[in-house]
Amino acid sequence: MASNNLNRGLTGKDLITVGIFSALYFVINFIFMLLGGLHPLIWILMPGFIALFSGIPFMLMCAKVQKPWAVLLMGIITGLIYFVTGQFTVVILVTFVISCALAELARAVTKYGSFQGNTAAFVLFSLGMTGSPLPLWLMRDSFLSQISSQGIPADYLETLKAVSSPAMLIVLFAAPVVGAIFGAYITRGMFKKHFVKAGIV
Amino acid sequence: MSMQKHLRIDPRTGLLLLVMSNIIAFTQNSFSVETGWILFLCLLAAFCGCGRAAARWLLAFCLLLGLQYYVFPVSAKIIATSFSIFANYTRRMFPCLIVGMLMVKKTPLRDLIVGLRKWHFPQKLIVAVSVTLRYFPAIREEAGYIRDAMKLRKIHGLQKVECLVIPLMISATGTAEELAAAAVTRGIENPAPKTSVVELRLTAADGACILAGVLFTAASCLIR
Repeated sequence: MASNNLNRGLTGKDLITVGIFSALYFVINFIFMLLGGLHPLIWILMPGFIALFSGIPFMLMCAKVQKPWAVLLMGIITGLIYFVTGQFTVVILVTFVISCALAELARAVTKYGSFQGNTAAFVLFSLGMTGSPLPLWLMRDSFLSQISSQGIPADYLETLKAVSSPAMLIVLFAAPVVGAIFGAYITRGMFKKHFVKAGIV
Repeated sequence: MSMQKHLRIDPRTGLLLLVMSNIIAFTQNSFSVETGWILFLCLLAAFCGCGRAAARWLLAFCLLLGLQYYVFPVSAKIIATSFSIFANYTRRMFPCLIVGMLMVKKTPLRDLIVGLRKWHFPQKLIVAVSVTLRYFPAIREEAGYIRDAMKLRKIHGLQKVECLVIPLMISATGTAEELAAAAVTRGIENPAPKTSVVELRLTAADGACILAGVLFTAASCLIR
């Protein structure tokens, strides 16, 4: 029974590991979420930035907990805490669930241990954050009319309209993919440089 | 238990208020509902013993409103573009942040866990979430120590990021091992139902808060 990773559930130790790395992931995520408020362009590139910088906690968690449901649990925790800040709208909830489920699938197919498999899972996981700026496209008209009635200058509306073009939608989804792949390779470099030496992975 | 002179809010009420704050933030179109809800929450925070924090929230809210309606329309384009959405989003997040602050300050993690258990959240999720919540202050503490150590060695630029992140990750891995060992010896994996010395009871004040929350939520959904 103990020989097969797939049949074992998460133990207390796994839960604590996931919890701790979720905290680290969330801190990185939150920093970029705040920066995203400065300009719409940063907001749209935000999922990409998060992916670039959150590789280490994610990949370390994957290395430590090579079992099903770890990634989903990390996604749920991130979602629950975002709930406190009021950022967690319905759209981001949907994208998060889809991306976590796909990431779980990617890990299950690649048997949890391989770098490529975990990178694929990380790419899919990172795509979940695209739900934050996605309402710009999904509810473009109501969103624009809503904020124009709240004392927002016309120039800003023009910027927003330009930024929410269909071409930018591709950028929105491409950014986390590129960011996550770079992030995963940076992480592998760090693993080789520090963590293997320290006997952690 | 010396805090009896202040109102105590059940963690479950806090969570319900959070959910309703989220719905209100998502649906709100009416300025009066938004302001009323924030006033109500600030009052609640004041009754629970966070008077000064509540006053600060109110002041910040007025400041943001002033910025949005009086300063941005006349200020330079770059400033208005950069900070409009920031101000707008911060304002929307206010109710959630107030409730969040109240819960962080006044609800011990232990009570929250008992509350979640009563709602039959999966035990595994509760363990992971409470570890996450408890680890945030630890990250801050760690980061402070690491920054002190970096100052001694004159590390600059991009190297700073690496020198901050790697020790953080390594200490996190260590903490996970230690915490897990401690938790397992205390029976975290025991399948028997957990017991607790904390007993939660919903009081009249909780009922009043929930009722007010429901009314505001309904108003926010109906008034356009």
